[in-house]
Amino acid sequence: MIFNSLVFLVFVLCFFSVYFFLKGRLRLGWILVASYVFYGWWDWRFLALIIFTTLMDYLFGIYLEDTHVPRQKKQVIIASVVMNLGFLSIFKYFNFFAASAAALLQYVGMEASWTSLHIILPVGISFYTFQSMSYTIEIYRGEMKAERDLLKYATFVGFWPQLMAGPIVRAKDLLPQFHVERPFEWDRFYSGMGRVLWGFFKKCAIADSLGPFADQCFQAPETFGSLHLLIGVVFYSFQIYCDFSGYSDIAIGMARIMGYRFPENFRSPYFSSSFSEFWTRWHISLSSWLRDYLYIPLGGNRHGVFMTYRNNMITMLLGGLWHGANWAFVFWGFLHGLYLILQRFVAPHWAWVVRVLRLPRFVDKGVAIAVVYSLTLLAWVYFRAGSMGAHSFTVANAVLSGIFSGRHFAWWAVLNKFQVLKGFLLIGMLYGVELSNAWVNWNVVQVHRPALRLALFAVLLWLIAFFGTFGANAFIYFQF
Amino acid sequence: MKQLLWFLLLLGTLLAGDRAGGYVLQQQVAQSQFRYARLYGGEAAADILLVGNSRGLIFYEPYIEEKSGLKTFNLSYNGLPMDAARALAEDYLDRYPAPRLMLIELTTCDRTNDALLSGFLTFSGQSARLDALIREKSIENWRAGQLSALYRYNNELFQRALFHRNKTDKDWLLDRAIDPALAAKVLENNYPLEVHPYLLEQLRALVAYAQGKGVAVKLVISPYYPQFTVTHLDDLKAEATRLTGLPVYDYRDALSDPASFGDFMHLNKTGAMVYLDQLIGDGVLPF
Repeated sequence: MIFNSLVFLVFVLCFFSVYFFLKGRLRLGWILVASYVFYGWWDWRFLALIIFTTLMDYLFGIYLEDTHVPRQKKQVIIASVVMNLGFLSIFKYFNFFAASAAALLQYVGMEASWTSLHIILPVGISFYTFQSMSYTIEIYRGEMKAERDLLKYATFVGFWPQLMAGPIVRAKDLLPQFHVERPFEWDRFYSGMGRVLWGFFKKCAIADSLGPFADQCFQAPETFGSLHLLIGVVFYSFQIYCDFSGYSDIAIGMARIMGYRFPENFRSPYFSSSFSEFWTRWHISLSSWLRDYLYIPLGGNRHGVFMTYRNNMITMLLGGLWHGANWAFVFWGFLHGLYLILQRFVAPHWAWVVRVLRLPRFVDKGVAIAVVYSLTLLAWVYFRAGSMGAHSFTVANAVLSGIFSGRHFAWWAVLNKFQVLKGFLLIGMLYGVELSNAWVNWNVVQVHRPALRLALFAVLLWLIAFFGTFGANAFIYFQF
Repeated sequence: MKQLLWFLLLLGTLLAGDRAGGYVLQQQVAQSQFRYARLYGGEAAADILLVGNSRGLIFYEPYIEEKSGLKTFNLSYNGLPMDAARALAEDYLDRYPAPRLMLIELTTCDRTNDALLSGFLTFSGQSARLDALIREKSIENWRAGQLSALYRYNNELFQRALFHRNKTDKDWLLDRAIDPALAAKVLENNYPLEVHPYLLEQLRALVAYAQGKGVAVKLVISPYYPQFTVTHLDDLKAEATRLTGLPVYDYRDALSDPASFGDFMHLNKTGAMVYLDQLIGDGVLPF
């Protein structure tokens, strides 16, 4: 079930019409049933997978806490990680690795006889697998107690607002919230509603308006001039940002209405003035997961320059692979790893230039933001092409060579100018709101100023009606 | 009670703002020089009525008017299906004196396009035909348009109307040559044309309606890029002739210079003028 569909509207109405009349375990049970309906609506057969993962990690968690033999603890955590990553590998990466191995064998002159399997990728598997894994890892590390109540644990894994595309909420952040009764509060309702509406605006109005223009560019890059392609790539950067952060906003808002608090997943990432900052603003729940469970265990930056670079690169490569079973995603991760490494070389020199030329802070910051955004844009080309199967590198290279060729780098050669103007208008609105966050706390306004709240809600609904695309386009991150 | 009052106020504000916004946007459309705004604004009287999808856009109006001295009006639009073309053309015929000629690009019968149809919500208030068509083909969009006046302007057609608010759209035509890299792949590409009985029936009805008003109707197939394969074109041609009794002027192979094309399916401005010279020379267009 996707948020921007009529069936979800019916689901939400049914869910909330019962939810606030229930208390305690009945309420948790209702959330769990609703979560399984929400997930099973896509394909009920995969409910078995999520239930199995839940049961196993629940048992692993209890066993980890109850056993005091370090060796046994280690065996259990390995079993948990192998099980979780095993499912992920089978459903998400089997064909990818099989095809890559076949290509490699062919390259060295051998013939591979196996064929690919028709495996359906269960929606949200990357998200709930990481969420469930974080639980057993944290118990193993002694950072949290095992949850003995299966209902609470199952609700944590299946919690419908973030089940399909995050944010990846850590067990220690969410599970304790299930231990406290969450009565209805108007403040939470208004705050959550505002967030939900903003998420819908980002998804339906911005992302889905920019999408068709960007899609055209990647489907037939040779058809378009260089400026057209550049605009297409810029549009894609905002499409993916609004699509994904829109989903996070809706998830955070829905959870807030229910009384639960999710961590932020995005903080205006395109205002980042360094790549390390970018990763504290983009898909925060994944980047912090990778930092805590991969980068730091690898050694982080504690073992010298070379090891820091190595750890950065491994983390980003695996982060790329997490997004999809295609080498283009890995290459996207590689580019970001490279950016992080290069940044360590360039930053001191740039600081020297700023000092010598006495550049004002806004110039220093502006140049840094522009450079980070431009290089991020370059990486997005490979990311977008990553979902285009075997031809991903061909497509990405065609788009980039089209842009850098400079052929028809002119406004007259841009097709569908009205779409371009609309796109930039919407991006301007987004930037306007994100810049205003520095002065206005919109959440406080929504909660404490009824007249302004009314105006805000009305404006958002008008904007959604006027700019929204209602074709029930799936969220991009569902495929990951 | 306070909360209930707030919700009622929100509903009232939403409704009032939506209707007021819809009114303001309608005023903008009324002042636009976009083709359908002119059609329903009473500023489209012409001697030659041109009908087509994106391939109909190559009926380059300024050139025809310059060559023939006759006024033209082009109803063509990207992806326009024949059912919408019929509604628009019949609206034209009801509102204006009968033109001397209605020239139809036959491939408009190729396929339906219900997604585009909902865009005509912007003009459905002025056309019972469009309103009925959207209601029949895209009931959810029609209902959304009833619910929200702003939603009627949430489409490509409105955006184009706004884009052409202060400038004509008569010269809307691709003005660049096909990319050589794309042209080199001509044999790898093809277009599977659909012979669509529903759309052919729409064509038959439109032709009969126009002829009933004393309008001469001609059907043409405009040029495709040399060696570009379009399947079922002969079937479409035969069916159109069988249903309407009209011959089809077939120019699919009329131009061989790659520089005349913007892509495999469309002539550019240079090619359009060469093609229009041929139509005039052959008497398909009046001179």
